[in-house]
Amino acid sequence: MAHLWTLDQLKSTLDNHPQVKGWIVNEETIQRRERYFLAEKGGALVIDQDREVEVNNLSARLFVKLDDASRQGEVSKKFFYSLPLAPQLDSAIAAGLQTSHQAWPLPTAATELPSVQSADPAIVEDLEGSVSRLTQDIATAVATPRDARFDSAELFLSIHRLTKHLSNGLIHRSLSTRIYVEAAYSCSKQLADGSVFSDEYLDTRWSVRLADVDVAGLFEQAANHARYAVEVSKTEAGRYPVIIHADVLATLFHDQISQLSGSNAYHQLPFVAVGDALIKSTEGDLISLALDPQQPFGADTVAISGQGVPQALLPLVEQNRVVATAADQQFAHYLNLPAPTTVRGTVTVAGGRHSYASLTKAAPQVLEILQFSGLFTDANSGTFGSEIRLARLHDNINGTVRYLKGGSLGGAVQENFKGLKLSDVCVRHSHFDGNNPVGQAYFGPECALLTEVSVAA
Amino acid sequence: MARAPFSTDLHPLRQFLPSLLPVLEAQPGWYGSVYLERKTKLTHTVNLRQSNINDEVSLGVVLRIYDGYTLFEQSSDQLEPEALLQLAQRFAGRVAATPPAAGAIARPYAPVSWSERLQLPLDDEIRVQIPADANAATEVHFGIRCEQDPTRLSNEAILGRLKAIVERTKALAPDAGLAEGDLSFVQAQQRYAIEDALFIDRAVNMSQTLYRIATVLVTMSGPHRAHSVVGGLGGQEVTAGLEDKIAGTLADLAAVRQAELLTPGQYRVLIGPSIAGVLAHEAFGHSQEGDTCARGRSKAWDLFQSGEIVGNQHATILNNPAIFKNGDEDFAAWGSYFFDEEGWLAQEQVLLEAGQLRAPMTNLTSALRLGVPRSANGKRESWANGVYTRQTNTYFSAGDATLAELMQQLGDGFVATQPAGGMEDPKGMGIQVGIQFLQEVRDGKFTGRVFRGPAGGDVQLTGYTPDLLNAIVAKSKIEYTRSDADEAVHPQNKVGGCGKYHKEIVHAGSGGPYMLLAQATLG
Repeated sequence: MAHLWTLDQLKSTLDNHPQVKGWIVNEETIQRRERYFLAEKGGALVIDQDREVEVNNLSARLFVKLDDASRQGEVSKKFFYSLPLAPQLDSAIAAGLQTSHQAWPLPTAATELPSVQSADPAIVEDLEGSVSRLTQDIATAVATPRDARFDSAELFLSIHRLTKHLSNGLIHRSLSTRIYVEAAYSCSKQLADGSVFSDEYLDTRWSVRLADVDVAGLFEQAANHARYAVEVSKTEAGRYPVIIHADVLATLFHDQISQLSGSNAYHQLPFVAVGDALIKSTEGDLISLALDPQQPFGADTVAISGQGVPQALLPLVEQNRVVATAADQQFAHYLNLPAPTTVRGTVTVAGGRHSYASLTKAAPQVLEILQFSGLFTDANSGTFGSEIRLARLHDNINGTVRYLKGGSLGGAVQENFKGLKLSDVCVRHSHFDGNNPVGQAYFGPECALLTEVSVAA
Repeated sequence: MARAPFSTDLHPLRQFLPSLLPVLEAQPGWYGSVYLERKTKLTHTVNLRQSNINDEVSLGVVLRIYDGYTLFEQSSDQLEPEALLQLAQRFAGRVAATPPAAGAIARPYAPVSWSERLQLPLDDEIRVQIPADANAATEVHFGIRCEQDPTRLSNEAILGRLKAIVERTKALAPDAGLAEGDLSFVQAQQRYAIEDALFIDRAVNMSQTLYRIATVLVTMSGPHRAHSVVGGLGGQEVTAGLEDKIAGTLADLAAVRQAELLTPGQYRVLIGPSIAGVLAHEAFGHSQEGDTCARGRSKAWDLFQSGEIVGNQHATILNNPAIFKNGDEDFAAWGSYFFDEEGWLAQEQVLLEAGQLRAPMTNLTSALRLGVPRSANGKRESWANGVYTRQTNTYFSAGDATLAELMQQLGDGFVATQPAGGMEDPKGMGIQVGIQFLQEVRDGKFTGRVFRGPAGGDVQLTGYTPDLLNAIVAKSKIEYTRSDADEAVHPQNKVGGCGKYHKEIVHAGSGGPYMLLAQATLG
């Protein structure tokens, strides 16, 4: 299964093929280390699984000519060096000829691209050493005496190398790193009837660099929340002012980005045009939102888009007014925009004026979500909902704080952001979804207060 | 009916890979195995604006050493024999240099021979494909049955069918009361994959080839959405029914456009098979995953040991990767296979029987840690991901009522169909099941009113799992429109997916009968 051809041969064959209009070739390698930890009977920290992974991908997006010059065919295909090139190419082109898209040109190759910080040099230099260091951090965290039981942890580290080749001559190399750490702690207590009530808390963190992973803090928070989880009462039904934190805000604002995209405009999906208000008839804090592809060590920090367009800071919403559409080369062309814009990067939301403490006192009762069971959102409708896994009720009448569990929270951005209050402290939040090459990056308020959120119980 | 053959171009690798086993078992107490996987996926998409083809292939090998304490894996897509041999030697060196942690308990494992495997109660679809004299050197292959070989269909034919579905959808929209412009987005998509897998250890050399096909129709009107999916394992015949669902999908979309907002509260609900499946999956599916139990993260393990009852006589949940006839259909359910990714043969397993927990599903290491039997639930997102205990097809057992009888028993309440995700809470025993389509019923009849969640999104059914399992009043037959006895053996399992610990996505089927719940929280 030796290599039967080279990348240069693929590119040259594509360049000279009469039916090929353009192409984007991605060469990707991934190195990943994984460890799955748990507590042995007797309490020792042991490794249940220890994995090392190496992935090599060569994939291409080919654009082919159709008889109708206003249309073009398109196919995405993975190529294998170990198989003869011609049959792979022939089948891809034949498939592309069966498809039909409105024609669009690749951009002119950029000559100057920004330099971005998307990888931790320490991980790139010594992956195994970084695994050992974090393993030691986990061992130390597990050994720390706590009022909760350590159950399990996971640790993933990876290095991603991507070289993008475009038929316009652009060749761009990028390097990124990912870290994932999770910790699960549980707690139990005996109830008055003699039965035992137990619950757990799983906390997770994604990041790009080691300095952003606070293993000790993560394990401490998981243990603390596990303790709170056995002190809960049931959530009562009603409409609440609700504090949500950066993890939830990141998802909700990412959903809003899709409604500001050229892709949605073209496909007639829900779209908020330039000049329109993001939140209709709001009385709360006005949202200012941008895509920042150069945010250092963000989960989506890139120099170019998937279509080779240089990425730069793009304000999308200023003081609740939409000021730009996020459109890559293809949809910018379809929509007759003057130029493609930024479609990748950290979703950056300007901080507000409110301290966390003031948000907890913003109403007689304020519900603070510590963890949803599973937040389900609909980017088209802007609705969201989840069971409440763990929450805090700030009762400002009695001056108490109670922990709650259960009940179903349901909301809609257009309704529940009307009285939005954003916190004055901004934080970074990173998330990577399985093997998806594009991460979810957020830099913005650490928390926000939503109003009139429905909770069923 | 033909069976899917093992792809011939993988034969040279199949012959080479056993030569790595001595390296992977170089030290006493090591159990070595090799898993090879190739998934060739073709996705054809047609919408109102464009058509597209995506051709993805994922091919890689996992070298495995279990040293009695830890399962070590080395995954790579560099499949040249010389490179693999070097990789295996480097991997063995890494394992040898990693001593077990202080306090770790040894749990040795020895592979299981064909003669021992044949002692297990296996489905006939599996048994007939194992030669009677199979031994460690026998190349045993399992192929999915298929009537219309999907590998022979051209791109042109598939795209042609999808275009026809999109056109038909547009044409039928006025019949559903949708005016021109109401139908803002229509997309038809076929996802087809050839999934070859090979598992080798010193006792077996077995392969399987599955054809996985699903066709999806998505319709939208502004932010409102309705969709239909047909799919399973088999030939192109698996997706034959989508055209029949166009009118229903459009009717659902028209209804959702007019839907009212639900007042949150406790309601009497008749849940459809796909919602019942998600309930089973989230209730005592995830919490009955052996690795979650071994991590100390599941209440189900405590309840299994204590024997505490957590549901009524209707609360019976099964997991079964060996569903080769799905409901009344003559093809396999979405979550089926012949063996899992650690080489364990598929078998039906009862997870909860009339409210009483049975042993959990397992993968290799969780079975050893818990001291319970292995089951065929060792799965991974891809060869590049780790193996966990995962569900296959999870479903409630069937009852004996017809749907018409259940509607009468429902009286006033709601019928919930079309799931919208779900989430487990293995330790805290909470549950969340999303519902896309909720219809009001009064006096056993549909009123025509449809409801969305209180804020306009999907309705969420939530609660404490034992409360919900004690609220089951009655269950339908598998063939719920007929009054005579079921001919089908397994309840229908729908096309679905499953994430674990908020990542690691795999295929999963889920299903069951219609189930009447006396009371559930909807919000």
